Amino acid sequence: MNAALEAEGLVKRYGARTAVQDLSFSVPKGSIYGVLGPNGAGKSSTLRMLVGVLRPTAGRISVLGGPANRETMKSVGYLPEERGLYRGMSARSAIAYLARLKGTPASQAFKRADKLLTDHGLGKVKRKKIKTLSKGMAQKVQVLGAIAHEPDLIIFDEPFSGLDPVNQRVLEETIRAQAAAGRTILFSTHVMEHAERLCDRILLIAQGKSAFEGTVREALALAPSIAVVETDGNYDMAPVLGPLGFQWTEELGEHGNRRWRVRLENGHGSRQLLQACVEAGAPLSLFEPARASLHEAFVALVGDKAAITAAE
Amino acid sequence: MSPVLLVARRDYFAYIGAWGFWLSLLTAPLIIAVLLFGPILLARAEPPRVITIVAERSTDADAVKTAFAASALRDARGDIRAYLAATAPSAEAPAIAAFDAAPDRPAAIAAARAVVAERAPNALTAFPAPSPRYQIIDPPAPEIQALRPYLDGTQLLTDGRSLYGALYLRRDAQGAPIIEYWSTALNHDEPTNLAHRALRLEMQREALTSQGLAASEAERLQGFDPQIVQFDPRSSGAEGVTLRERAPFFAALALAFILWSIVFSVANMLLNGVIEEKSNKILDTLLTSVSPMQMLIGKLLGVAAVSATLFLFWGALGGTLLTIAAERASENIFGQIAEAFLDPRLLVAFFIGFIAGYLMYGAIFLALGSLCESVQEAQTLLGPVALVLATPMMLITPALDNPNAPIIETASWIPIFTPFLMLIRAPSGLSWTEIAGQGALMMLSVVVILFLASRIFKAGVVDQVSLSSWLGRKAKG
Repeated sequence: MNAALEAEGLVKRYGARTAVQDLSFSVPKGSIYGVLGPNGAGKSSTLRMLVGVLRPTAGRISVLGGPANRETMKSVGYLPEERGLYRGMSARSAIAYLARLKGTPASQAFKRADKLLTDHGLGKVKRKKIKTLSKGMAQKVQVLGAIAHEPDLIIFDEPFSGLDPVNQRVLEETIRAQAAAGRTILFSTHVMEHAERLCDRILLIAQGKSAFEGTVREALALAPSIAVVETDGNYDMAPVLGPLGFQWTEELGEHGNRRWRVRLENGHGSRQLLQACVEAGAPLSLFEPARASLHEAFVALVGDKAAITAAE
Repeated sequence: MSPVLLVARRDYFAYIGAWGFWLSLLTAPLIIAVLLFGPILLARAEPPRVITIVAERSTDADAVKTAFAASALRDARGDIRAYLAATAPSAEAPAIAAFDAAPDRPAAIAAARAVVAERAPNALTAFPAPSPRYQIIDPPAPEIQALRPYLDGTQLLTDGRSLYGALYLRRDAQGAPIIEYWSTALNHDEPTNLAHRALRLEMQREALTSQGLAASEAERLQGFDPQIVQFDPRSSGAEGVTLRERAPFFAALALAFILWSIVFSVANMLLNGVIEEKSNKILDTLLTSVSPMQMLIGKLLGVAAVSATLFLFWGALGGTLLTIAAERASENIFGQIAEAFLDPRLLVAFFIGFIAGYLMYGAIFLALGSLCESVQEAQTLLGPVALVLATPMMLITPALDNPNAPIIETASWIPIFTPFLMLIRAPSGLSWTEIAGQGALMMLSVVVILFLASRIFKAGVVDQVSLSSWLGRKAKG
């Protein structure tokens, strides 16, 4: 068995609304797998079905070779999107409690809780009540609670939301360390950069349907080429690019210059773009090809509207 | 440890770790004592209320003054008798005889006290020294209109006290008495009742003497007062019903109120607990480890353990006091009531009622809590629910009047009423078969309610169904 998790033809309906539609994917053992999509795309419903909290309307799920029941879930760590802990519990008790619910003996659960808290820089607050911790600390405690029983498969739903950039980087390291220890990680996010940095494979979901399933490299290959153009001063490239049918996004470049990421597709190559810039007399300070981002691949796959619109 | 027990254990320690738990554990007996004895102590501590009488005829004023004095004498006799019944039953009869033989109130109290000092000196420490509720004084002004400043508080009496009320007794054209009562205490009618009774007797006496009857004979006629003796046909004794026979009904009533209060207090704890968990967003984390049914049972067990802790403490305290009272003072009021509380039939009914009542109402409250997003939402839901849950208490008074009335018997087989009505009916000879049958029916209902509650609980915590979203959908049609 090479797959830690397999889903086939998953469907979830809430009354007349279909949240997840015919979703099939497989998560290889030991991999980091990302489920990506905008808010409301059906990621959380998918993950809640994977951990057995929600019953699928249709479809089949295999977790670690078995059905998604509570016995199998003893080997699964889960961090839900809507998270919280008992506010009156201490950090170590909260982690140990979650581990014990998964079958870890009490003494071992407390030992692991202490070690995890110390390893993650929370040793000094291990006896403090959750209500006295900062939001970031409490979220860290909950992440540790999800892995304290040393599960084979870890499922995180939007683990980076609510964390500051420093703690996001710490969490990325935690995820890498768990993967390095041979565990399989599946996480959902609507921020493509995290997936791009961490994932071996990804599933892109839009409006409850699968838009892509494969490696990050395969997803990027589907994205159009990009050219980055930077102009001096306040020069506006829109009147140059628009009439020629280019699509672009504008961002702030270095030294306050205006920067344009221009998609090179539909027969519009970098030569045509450069020629247009020269003919228009644009004060170019930078013109270089760039690697498309996962977000751009996602937009190319599902279209702008689907990428940003929540599933109705 | 199984997930159910882990959930129960966590909930238990969360509750007993809260300062509110210890506060209620320690203060509840104190509060009950204050509620029981507070009004009595307050009434005893209150100084006499000053009343004056302005009368057109001195005979009317005298009659009313006599009525007030007789009332004060009766009150003192009652206080001393109740005190001795509870503390020194052997001294009660001779002390009261001495009291009755004395010429006036102060002498009567002193005579009773002397008997107690001789026969039961230990009971002297808290011997009541009752002061009369009213003191009648001569009017500080001759006319009722001139008394107004005293009565509305703008002017005090010469000794610095304020005048509580004034009775103005006059006669109409036909000579019939009219009582005017002047006081700012508008809801207090005891002075007028005393005056009314006194003048009615005075009118009767006047009528009888006008018919040629001697004044002493008229007074004798007015003193006719038949005795009432009540018998219980189930009892073989020749004596009438005493407190010993009535005590089980008082005990059952007290236990029914205690049961009702505890069941709904702990059910409320469950309701608030599940709402807190919903708002803390912790349920999704737990649901991968425990099923909704396991969580429901774990929570019920956790709070049941909290109640058990309370019972152990209060039970040990109350049980010890009741046992001591029953053994050492079986002849007085406390002993007889204590004996009634320790009746096995009553205790079994209470135990079964608590288990079944707690599980039924607890499961219902948990299910309701799972549908609510906030305490405010729960409170709107609890309004109509509380009305339904108050119904058993409404049946308690008719059940006390006639425990075997068809409506009460029928209602006692309706599971949500059974815990309370079983208790009330227990002293009237409820059979063990009936207790077992009603207990079995309640347990069956508990299973059904638990099953339904777990379905609602699952909808609330897993499918995130909430009362507001459900009502919103209904409103949209």
